[in-house]
Amino acid sequence: MKKKRRIYEKAALALLCAAIILVFFFPLYVLVNVSLREFTDLSSRLIPTKNPIPDNYREILENPLFWKALRNTCAVFLLDVLFQIPIASIAGYGLARSQGRIVNMIRSFNILVMMLPGTALLVGTYSLMTKLHLTNSLVGLALLEAGTSMTGAMFFYTTFSTMIPVDLDDAAAIDGAGVIRTYFQIILPQMKAITVTRIISLLIVSFNSYLMPLYLLTKADKYTVLLFVRKIFASSNAVADIPLAFASCMIMIAPMLLLYFLLQKQIIGSQLDSAVKG
Amino acid sequence: MGGIILLKRRKRHLLYLTVPGLLMIGFFVLIPLMNSVRLAFFTWNGYSQNMKFVGMKNFISLLSDKRLGRTTVNTLIYGIGSCVLQNILGLAAALLVNRRFRGRGVMRAVIYMPVMISAFIMGKVMSYLFSFDNGVANDILAIFGRGPVNWLGNSWIGILLITLINSWQYLGLCMLIYLAGLQGISSSYIEAGVIDGAGPIQLFFHVKLPLLIPSITTGIVTNLINGLKIYEMVTGLTGGGPDRQTMSLAQYIQLLYFNDEKAGYAGAVGVFMFFFIMLIAMPINKWLKSREINL
Repeated sequence: MKKKRRIYEKAALALLCAAIILVFFFPLYVLVNVSLREFTDLSSRLIPTKNPIPDNYREILENPLFWKALRNTCAVFLLDVLFQIPIASIAGYGLARSQGRIVNMIRSFNILVMMLPGTALLVGTYSLMTKLHLTNSLVGLALLEAGTSMTGAMFFYTTFSTMIPVDLDDAAAIDGAGVIRTYFQIILPQMKAITVTRIISLLIVSFNSYLMPLYLLTKADKYTVLLFVRKIFASSNAVADIPLAFASCMIMIAPMLLLYFLLQKQIIGSQLDSAVKG
Repeated sequence: MGGIILLKRRKRHLLYLTVPGLLMIGFFVLIPLMNSVRLAFFTWNGYSQNMKFVGMKNFISLLSDKRLGRTTVNTLIYGIGSCVLQNILGLAAALLVNRRFRGRGVMRAVIYMPVMISAFIMGKVMSYLFSFDNGVANDILAIFGRGPVNWLGNSWIGILLITLINSWQYLGLCMLIYLAGLQGISSSYIEAGVIDGAGPIQLFFHVKLPLLIPSITTGIVTNLINGLKIYEMVTGLTGGGPDRQTMSLAQYIQLLYFNDEKAGYAGAVGVFMFFFIMLIAMPINKWLKSREINL
């Protein structure tokens, strides 16, 4: 009897998993299926198209604006890392070691910043960025993105730094190292792994960032990949060229999903870690 | 703690390390914030030199703005709806992938996958799936011999779809929060429960769930705040339509500033939205925190 029940249980589990996989992959299936079609192919989108063509992909990949957009996005991501990681990690260390009130303050402040609506912040930011001539500037965008997510990053590094034993600091202090030297020689090597996870999440965030780039980058040669894709969705006025737009979506999503499935243990592991600590 | 060696001077130096970070926050968060609050006291079209101080007028017009009422209701539905769905489904998913079976790593990766994709793109793709002609949802209905439905032509269906799709896309985040919580439960509690003769259902409600309250706090508060701030999914899926009936507060602010050229009023709505989120999220956070068990 017990054996029979176990078989039922296993079957139910397998069925559930199959259903979940179907629900999560179905939109991707449609995306691929439509992106391989001619504009005029209106047969059912549930069935694989009879004459798949690579033309949509070719058209995107031959568009110099796409490559420009990819370069821009990578530049913004790298600048983001440059502006955020060193500042956040050193501040996080400082906060973790000064203990007490200030750490609690930054914790509540972090929640407060989390509650700030992005669009409301944009209203105040936009005029500031115009005054500073930082619109249509990748550096400006990166500074802004690094700045708005700085509280989160500082909080992230603070929680991590509190787990590094203070004894290490004390030993360095006895040897006469100042705080800066302690940070660079003792603390920084400990932060390597956590910094890699932070960089990965910055990669995802900066590739998918939408609102700020949309209003700060208005010239087509400054577009990020997401803005490029958006433009294709919007460009045809009467009937949108959905297969072409879907091909551009696929070109943007596919490398990210590939990276995700290759690094999923690390990506999910790092998110799990921050879920425990956060 | 070996705090003896941390001299006062050293402590001061440690605080100096935070200065660059705090300056960044001040410049890119606090100044814009004060700027948009300041704007709320002016009428301004967003670009001209012509700014007129009007005092509380923008805040008074909030009270008689019918659109704002509808938008606030929508935002509440997005926030509470996604929060409830994500937490229930996220917990269920966490319980599933916490079981030992072959392929659980794959399931975990699959459920988290949509988090990688831009919400705007997800919205755009879904708007095609649910479009009236050439939509996939209607293709499926056709298999069952049903006529096409104009999904996005009806604002309530639009609101439902936005809530459902948003919950589905970010379900993985909640799953991870609960998974971390479940893995943190010491097996000795579970064993004690089993010895006392608890079945799997009792074990869940009387042992696991109370110990999961810190995860529940994180799950509810972050998802509620994110749901109330929803923007990209709405612009992607419905564009706020039909007739701005599915708009969220965040999108309303953006449309007011960049389309309707009412920058001052947009600032006032921004202030309203901030307090609106705070008034909902803060008490819930406090209440949940008070129920956490300290072991």
